[in-house]
Amino acid sequence: MKRVTLIVAAVLTLFGTVPAAQAQETLKIGAVVALSGAGAAWGDGMLNGAKLAADDVNSAGGLQVGDKKYKIAIVAYDDKYQANEAVTAANRLVYEDGVKYIVGPTGSAPLLAIQPITEKNKVIVLTLAFTAKTLGADKPYTFRPILTTSEFSQPQIDWVAKVKGVRKVGGLFPNDETGQQIAKDVDAAYQKAGAQLAGKEFFERDRVDFVPLLTRVLASGVGAIELDGNSPATAGLLVKQAREIGFPGLIVRTGGPATAEIIGVAGKRAAEGLYVHSVIDPRSERLARYIDRYQKTYKQPMNGFSPFFYDSTHMLFEAMKKAGTVTDTDKVKTVLERIQDYDGVLGKLSWTGKDKYGIAHQISAPFYIAQVTDGREIIVAHCNFSVCE
Amino acid sequence: MSISWLVAQAIVNGLVIGMLYLLMSIGFTLAFGVMRIVNFAHGQFYMAGAMVMYVCVAHLNIPFTAAIAVAAVAALVLGAVVERGVLHSFRGDDLNGMIATIGVGMIIEDGALWAFGPNPLSVDSGVSGILRAGPFFVPAARVFAIGLSATVLVVFLWFMQTTRTGRAIRAVVQDSEMAKACGIRAQFIYPLGFALGVVLAAIAGATMSPLFSVSPFMGGTALLKAFIVVILGGLGSIAGAALASLLLGVVESVTSTFVSASLADMLQFALVIVIMLVRPGGLLGKADE
Repeated sequence: MKRVTLIVAAVLTLFGTVPAAQAQETLKIGAVVALSGAGAAWGDGMLNGAKLAADDVNSAGGLQVGDKKYKIAIVAYDDKYQANEAVTAANRLVYEDGVKYIVGPTGSAPLLAIQPITEKNKVIVLTLAFTAKTLGADKPYTFRPILTTSEFSQPQIDWVAKVKGVRKVGGLFPNDETGQQIAKDVDAAYQKAGAQLAGKEFFERDRVDFVPLLTRVLASGVGAIELDGNSPATAGLLVKQAREIGFPGLIVRTGGPATAEIIGVAGKRAAEGLYVHSVIDPRSERLARYIDRYQKTYKQPMNGFSPFFYDSTHMLFEAMKKAGTVTDTDKVKTVLERIQDYDGVLGKLSWTGKDKYGIAHQISAPFYIAQVTDGREIIVAHCNFSVCE
Repeated sequence: MSISWLVAQAIVNGLVIGMLYLLMSIGFTLAFGVMRIVNFAHGQFYMAGAMVMYVCVAHLNIPFTAAIAVAAVAALVLGAVVERGVLHSFRGDDLNGMIATIGVGMIIEDGALWAFGPNPLSVDSGVSGILRAGPFFVPAARVFAIGLSATVLVVFLWFMQTTRTGRAIRAVVQDSEMAKACGIRAQFIYPLGFALGVVLAAIAGATMSPLFSVSPFMGGTALLKAFIVVILGGLGSIAGAALASLLLGVVESVTSTFVSASLADMLQFALVIVIMLVRPGGLLGKADE
């Protein structure tokens, strides 16, 4: 019996532990994203972007860092777009799963809630949070790989005011940190462009009936409605209901990319003529291939934030390779900060924002103003951080 | 535009949305009346109705009104299965029954998330444009939805008031022990009453699907509205639900139009608290229920 046990132990050692010693190590990347609730379309886009980047690396045999090869595993938790859920998820990722990198959170309140945990533990965070408080010299491990309203609203609004002659605008915003911040930015941008944000309304995110609010905005005689700050689903409902009650003016979506979802909710007819912010360059074949791959893999239209997270996850991998470590996030951070003109699916990407935020952790990428025509975005102006033309 | 026009338009908007709330909440109050169970999966049944509409209209090209009938039949089956399969064992055990409905709701919601993804979807009823009466306007799509809701409500009330089965359900609502003693087959009435509540929820979701977007999470708001309406009107009271939903719609619309949407949300709950203090049974409910 003893001999049998010994043989079994020997066989187990041979087939159990030896292959394990040769196996790749796994590098866990955490994700704290909204996978349910109002921000789910964004959270899904972020997570899927990071997953596709991880797939690239894994299908090429893993991420070579120093003399080790890592298989990438994305560990995702749903924060439901809520701060308390995000804190639970971040605690689990940092203290139990032991991750050093987090994609997310999707919302501003969740980000502000987890930053004390991530900064203290030197966890590098790639977030979608729009608030200006996201970045700062005192938050050296947080990066924002997407363009926010405060980056693109001024040149876009200048264009709308100048070229389309808009003078009086109504805006409906969600009543939370993100919505309040965006309302403030948009208000300032319209004033600077010589127009006026005449009707400014706030509502709770779960609202679905906007007819009373739109009636009031319409009664104030506005020539355009601004959709910035609203989730894709809400923006779609606003377009639909504004057209249902006969609003004839312009509808402008200065905020984050969401055209496919807006058309999905409002329908082609109501969305016709809508002016939107876009990051999709129709001339880019690489981006077209990415969109195609996304739609084939996930069987749904691609959210416009997704390529940002695909590119920035790749930038993060690049930084790990150059730094020669996956555990020393100080080194990885320093290398990541230095990446300039990274050739991503979105075009040339660099880190900027030193003057504005005190730290250059804000991405800069090309963007556009497009008009929805027959359910498609047609680019009408090319933009940079100072002007659209 | 004058202030009097704005007041009147706000009231019109409120009555329209109130009618929609009525359809959302009437099945909820029925299920409570029959089963004595607060059906926390009501919102998810509402969502399931809208999802069936989406599949029928957008993928199978079934005409809108026929698709509502498909949604109703699907919901009748789903409701009966849930009652026989899950709630049956909790009969007389209200608290655990309620908790079971929370679980059922989660399963349906996550099932829809798995099947359809988180992106909002749209259903086209084919009705568009605006109906005008003097200076007032109502979106045609909403008038169409109200027409459908009213038809469903009339059929439902006719069924409850005049048919043998409808009277049996009402008897069980009033006093289940006496009803059983009189020979009403409660074994049949329980699943039927619950399934009818589910059917009304699904029809509400189906009717509302072209007005709002369709997504796995749309049930949350519907459940909240149904809850407020039913608490205001009195649990189990259909007339109370009618009064409360119109009141809620008008209060919400007028406050949103003249003050702010956030205040409108707060005011709904303030209204519930006041009614609970003054009339604990709701507007038309019995205080001892």
